[in-house]
Amino acid sequence: MSRNTQRLVRDGVLAAFWLWFSARLLNDWFGGVFVPQGQPFFDPEPVAAAATAVREAATGLGVVGTPVGWVASALDSASFAMTYLPDLAAGAWLTVVLTTLGILFGLVLAVPLAAARVYGRVTHWVALAFIELIRGTPLLAQLFVLYFALPLAGWIGAVPFVGSGVVPPQAVWVAVLGFTINSAAYQAEYIRGSIEGVDTGQLTAARAVGLSQLDGIRYVVLPQALRIAIPSWTNELVYLVKYSSLASFITVTELFYAVEEAAYSNYRFLDLFLLAAVVYVLLVVSATTTMEWVRRRVAIPGVGGSAGGRGPA
Amino acid sequence: MTDPLLDVDDVHQSYGEETVLEGISFEMERQDVKVLVGPSGSGKSTMLRCINRLTDIDDGDISLDGDSIYDLDVNDLRRQVGMVFQDFNLFAHLTALENVTLGLKRVLDYGEREAVEKAAWQLEAVGLREQADSYPAELSGGQKQRVGIARALAMDPKLMLFDEPTSALDPELIGEVLEVMRELADEGMTMLVVTHEMGFAKQAATDVLFLDDGKLVEQGPPEQLFENPEHDRTAAFLSRLTKLHGGQ
Repeated sequence: MSRNTQRLVRDGVLAAFWLWFSARLLNDWFGGVFVPQGQPFFDPEPVAAAATAVREAATGLGVVGTPVGWVASALDSASFAMTYLPDLAAGAWLTVVLTTLGILFGLVLAVPLAAARVYGRVTHWVALAFIELIRGTPLLAQLFVLYFALPLAGWIGAVPFVGSGVVPPQAVWVAVLGFTINSAAYQAEYIRGSIEGVDTGQLTAARAVGLSQLDGIRYVVLPQALRIAIPSWTNELVYLVKYSSLASFITVTELFYAVEEAAYSNYRFLDLFLLAAVVYVLLVVSATTTMEWVRRRVAIPGVGGSAGGRGPA
Repeated sequence: MTDPLLDVDDVHQSYGEETVLEGISFEMERQDVKVLVGPSGSGKSTMLRCINRLTDIDDGDISLDGDSIYDLDVNDLRRQVGMVFQDFNLFAHLTALENVTLGLKRVLDYGEREAVEKAAWQLEAVGLREQADSYPAELSGGQKQRVGIARALAMDPKLMLFDEPTSALDPELIGEVLEVMRELADEGMTMLVVTHEMGFAKQAATDVLFLDDGKLVEQGPPEQLFENPEHDRTAAFLSRLTKLHGGQ
């Protein structure tokens, strides 16, 4: 397959997934626009019936029937997915919320942390201590401290609208806080690396023009460092998509939680985890595709390796 | 009597154990063009960096327009003293035009429109109107250095420092940069230039200063230093340099 075909397939799959996903969420939030809340868009019964019929036909064909049996299995999987995907959609939505808010708020914290780590004197040590504390302890422990040991959940729960309508309940916000803090520490290290990758002459030149150190960092160093950081920073985003499953331990009903809940009702653990894996992969590929698009969008010739496209004139 | 524009008075500087400058003194009047020459490691670049406080001095004093540079706000000092670097140091993520407007907007508080107007004019003055929207990576070395000069000039400095502005350039690109510098000298800009381009020194300099081992060995008008130097060291160094970089 050529690169272009690969991209076309990827974009097609992602488009289908997000079309389904947004239709699903709209339907369930607004009280059943297309079908009743939580019901599959298409009835899986006929597919299941077809699977049974094909399976019977395959048995009658003997050895020749093996490939026909595969078709039956595929139909069976499809009807299974159609039945349980609606249960996973709400969970996948929370996974998206946790990841997106965690990475964005984390970025807002990470940039000053990274700058402090490189340029600070006292702040260098404060940033370093924070980063090592967070990176040195398990994320799950951090979530437990935030949710069970601190009175945060109670305070957030008292805020109006939390947990009503589309506003997620307090556990989600505690998880967002946890991922923000945790991700900030990791992101800060990615960004620190790329700040150090910016030629020191850039800041010298900014200072020589009369910019303060802070302005030099803000207008000259960071715009370059953040561009350089995008590819490695995308790693952190990919990790966070999957680490967000830890929020299930503090009662957040995200994708992993939804899968477990469904599995305990029908005991088809393997099938459901495979289905969840497909959804996780689709979310991760959506994230990397988005970041690749962002990288191209903000690329500047000569900043961040070959990212630019246009070479020297 | 008015103060000289720049008064370098018995400046000492060292990096840790290593002494770089050992009691340098010289003055510059307005419109002076002084060329600093000397072997590598003699402290020429450090001398320039002391003047806009990219490097701090240990002893002595430097005054700009009668005020010690240590009594001025450091960012204000740097606004008044333009600097051009050997390796250009253009802001890699900004176009040629944006390289020039950044200081105008963030230091001189120009509005977007005024900044763009002034920057466009400044780029035109160094012959780069066509390249205004190019990124540094898309420019040749000579073009980059001319953007570097435009970036410094846009701040309306009282004094321009050039730190080996042509040393990183391919030989065929040196001429276009020196030409811009010669025009600038003709227009009356006060310039302190570290360079090996002896042709430029002979044509444009009011004085040549010979630095060796952190000391100012000798200074005087170019014809005096080139024809009748007081010290043998000066004679030996300048004749060697003239053989290598006599052109232009």
